[in-house]
Amino acid sequence: MANAARIFPSSEVLTLARERALEPILKTENLWKVYRSGKVEVPALRGVNMEVFPGEFVSIMGPSGCGKSTMLHVIGGLAQATRGRVLLDGNDLTTMTDAARTLLRRHKVGFVFQKFNLLPTLDAYHNIALAQHIHGNGFDPHRFEVVANLLGLSERLTHKPSELSGGEQQRVALARAIVSEPKIVLADEPTGNLDTKSSEAVLSLLRQLNKELGQTIVMITHNPDAAAYGNRVLHMRDGQVVDGSTVH
Amino acid sequence: MIRYMIVQNVLHRPLRTLITAIAVAVEVAMVIMVVGLTSGLLLENAKRVEGVGADIMVQPPSASVFLAFSGAPMPIAIGEKLKQLDYVQAVAPVLVQFNSVNGLDVVFGIDPASFTAVSNGFVFHSGHDLQTQNDILVDDIYAKAKKIKTGQTMHILDHDFHVAGIVEHGKGARLFVFLSTLQEMAGAHDKASIFYIKNDRTDHTPAVMDEVRQLLPRYEVRPLKDFISLMTSSNLPGLGAFINVMIGIAVVIGFLVIFLSMYTTVIERTREIGVLKSLGASKGYIVRIILSETTLLCVAGAICGIGLSFLMRTVFIRLFPALSILISANWILRASAIAIIGGLLGASYPAWLASRKDPVEALAYE
Repeated sequence: MANAARIFPSSEVLTLARERALEPILKTENLWKVYRSGKVEVPALRGVNMEVFPGEFVSIMGPSGCGKSTMLHVIGGLAQATRGRVLLDGNDLTTMTDAARTLLRRHKVGFVFQKFNLLPTLDAYHNIALAQHIHGNGFDPHRFEVVANLLGLSERLTHKPSELSGGEQQRVALARAIVSEPKIVLADEPTGNLDTKSSEAVLSLLRQLNKELGQTIVMITHNPDAAAYGNRVLHMRDGQVVDGSTVH
Repeated sequence: MIRYMIVQNVLHRPLRTLITAIAVAVEVAMVIMVVGLTSGLLLENAKRVEGVGADIMVQPPSASVFLAFSGAPMPIAIGEKLKQLDYVQAVAPVLVQFNSVNGLDVVFGIDPASFTAVSNGFVFHSGHDLQTQNDILVDDIYAKAKKIKTGQTMHILDHDFHVAGIVEHGKGARLFVFLSTLQEMAGAHDKASIFYIKNDRTDHTPAVMDEVRQLLPRYEVRPLKDFISLMTSSNLPGLGAFINVMIGIAVVIGFLVIFLSMYTTVIERTREIGVLKSLGASKGYIVRIILSETTLLCVAGAICGIGLSFLMRTVFIRLFPALSILISANWILRASAIAIIGGLLGASYPAWLASRKDPVEALAYE
């Protein structure tokens, strides 16, 4: 119970949240995800309870196979939970249809992946603009310019992913994730494929996005140095969040 | 945005795009050429029959409008009875034979005097009219195709003919010999396949046709003014089915090529589909991308196919001047539509497959 208490925001954060009458942007209640392999059931998440408030930058750490990525997929609406609840901006993902979760991803979630996952046929400009196009509100040149400048991509927009370094590709992926102003950015090992210098640059940008734009971010990492960029770190083990701490 | 993405996708794999477009082009060209060749031959045949200059054509009962399929079951004496009908100015009996050696040719056995009376005679490019039993007249297209000159000997129907003259095309057949010569060669003494009737005035045609029908009940009596409209594939047994089978084969080829191409595309782009889904792309959006890409490939292929058809026609006509290939706007549109619809059907399953992919599995695809 003591551990469970620590996986929620610190008293300072909670006080601030209460002062501002904030509801958690993300909340999970007894979240389970069980994979089936033939007749064998493999639980990846075993009753996860956690809250993330608007403007937080939460890092989730844990060893390989502890369920970090599965949790990111479930809270991002890419996978359906087996039981429990996921409330994202007040919407319960566990009761939603596939089409409704698609809409929710479109309007409220931005993903950043370890392998960048840019479309190889499109240049940086169109990779970023694609998110706005799918979002459906039309191209917003002002927002695009702000994001491109913030991430230092203005000079690299005409290049295709194969012509960009790993760090540049991840910055494009980051731009794609935030250009449609999502409620939350979910980053899955965003520095896993980067060298130290590029990793620091990407992490600094994530922190900058959080501080300057108030972007809520949940980042998965197994690197303690990377996790320290967040203002709260959660630890996962065997499909459960077992510990939480506030980074000052 | 979506157009840019589709164009970039198509350009990303140039060899696959090229092969797919070529397959669609072959499909379109095949349809256009099969229809063009059959329509061209029918139309050209019809124009030649109309070009005889007669008003009415009389054939035996149940005879085909395609002269090559006619035999010689009518007594030549019928011609004399036809001549005596009101308003009839001239009657020309013609025996039709089909020569299949070194090509497919219709040979007209004619009586020069009566044929001239009906058709106003030949326009000679060289030589003279039929004079001896072994003489033959050749039209200019046939002469050009076979490199035949006046005065040379020509072997057809197992017989040596002397080329008496080269005449302007458009008088029913490309080769003309004496009626009596052809009757003897065919063992059809005193027989004819067709009687061409020339009236004193064109507007008497219905009246003369009525007279002929009374005189020769059950015989085929056709006004030549509307002959072109009779020359359709539906009037030739099996031709319509043949065209449909050829179109079907072309569609199946196009369907399979597009299916395979788009299926491999979807497999190859599994991770990209996962990315689109993570961005919130709906199933419809993904289906739209795949089908739009298919449409682009099919349109490019159809344009190439149309160009290929005209190129093939030019080459064929240069190689075989007697050939007639009719490429119509109607069939260009129909062939293109067939290719695009077939392609879209072929891409439907891969598109459906793409839209159904699980985003987590798709993102993990290596």
